Amino acid sequence: MSCTEWQSRVDAYVDGELAPDEAQAFRAHAAHCPDCASVALAQTEAKNAIRRAGQRYEPSSELRARVLAGMRASTQRRGVTVLEPSRPKSLSWPPWPLAAAAVILLAAGLFFFDGRNQRSNSLEELADLHVTNLASSTPVEVVSSDRHTVKPWFQGRIPFTFDLPDLQGTPFILIGGRVTYFHQEPGAHLIFAYQRHMISAFVFRDTPQLSIAKTSFSDRATSFNLQTWTHDGLRYVLVSDVNAAALQQLASLLQRH
Amino acid sequence: MKPDSAEHQEFEQLALPLFDSLYNFARWLSKDKTEAEDLVQETFAKALRGFSSFAPGTDFRAWMFRILRNTFLTSRTGLQTKLTVQLDVEEEGPVTTTWDTPETLAIASATREALQQAIESLPVSYREVVLLCDVEEMKYAEIAEVLSVPIGTVMSRLARGRKLLREALSAERALTARSKVNDRR
Repeated sequence: MSCTEWQSRVDAYVDGELAPDEAQAFRAHAAHCPDCASVALAQTEAKNAIRRAGQRYEPSSELRARVLAGMRASTQRRGVTVLEPSRPKSLSWPPWPLAAAAVILLAAGLFFFDGRNQRSNSLEELADLHVTNLASSTPVEVVSSDRHTVKPWFQGRIPFTFDLPDLQGTPFILIGGRVTYFHQEPGAHLIFAYQRHMISAFVFRDTPQLSIAKTSFSDRATSFNLQTWTHDGLRYVLVSDVNAAALQQLASLLQRH
Repeated sequence: MKPDSAEHQEFEQLALPLFDSLYNFARWLSKDKTEAEDLVQETFAKALRGFSSFAPGTDFRAWMFRILRNTFLTSRTGLQTKLTVQLDVEEEGPVTTTWDTPETLAIASATREALQQAIESLPVSYREVVLLCDVEEMKYAEIAEVLSVPIGTVMSRLARGRKLLREALSAERALTARSKVNDRR
């Protein structure tokens, strides 16, 4: 075997991935080939240096305690005792009276406010759109945190234009955007990150088909919050699982523009 | 109820020794303390929930690292990273390495800080392979399992990742040498 061939296997040798007889043959070759020996030595030293450099971060004892507590609590929730004696099961039951009250309120709402159902359906559809777009293999078609890149990208792709605020110094980060369709209307789907959550901002031309009249909405079943408003004939809808306050903050940043 | 409690104890016995390594890896991936902490916490919670689906006798460490990495990929930073990588042309072909002496020695002779900086600046698909191989000292087959890619891909990414490190560090060395010459003038 030539030196070039040997040297192409030096990674595998250093990583201990050669079969024992191959490793033996390599050592035999390197014993009388200073070139291959020095490459193998340098690679071994490089590997050691990377190992030392790579052992860089140590978790805090606080994190260890938090993770342990989290695991033990979750096992207990499943009705299993790890540290403490079993609790009466009734404690872990959902608060039925509250759930019943919610059902009654919801029924009353549907009865008294005609049309509400349809409107929240529209919003639910947008919540679905938020989930399906984020779950797709290409959640964003234009990847950029720069509003001056994202905004022009939509030119010619949607039949309107909109402004994006500068998010510097806010907890929100623009991730990118994509074209989306809602009730056969093309629109912009912008994605923002907030901590580890994603927020969708949909922008459509405000048409009666959108049939959205409420300004905010919380879907208890899916735990999504929505905020919506119109500006200059455009309908903006924010959808996310972040809390309503954070959503309101992003809404006012977008509205200020 | 007993089996669940026993299962939990078995999980802790297997998983806690990996705690430090998982945190170190999470921090290298996310480059952020808070995010790494969240990643580790989520990984342990997910792994415990899914522990019954773990096949005994298979590689538990690879299983944990895979959960951590998948959790990272769906996190904000991970999603951004993944999208960036998708936009780049990912080179997967065989790597031809020429062993010039100064470049070969670049990693071993770099300072710890310079090496850490160079690792940090590697694209995540190379960074993770190099760390799993050299820091966690995983076998190629184990790395392939963590990343859900063929062994050949592990080998080519590893070769390319190391090559990028050598290039970055020898370029930096050349730069420092030149600036020293300029200082002397």
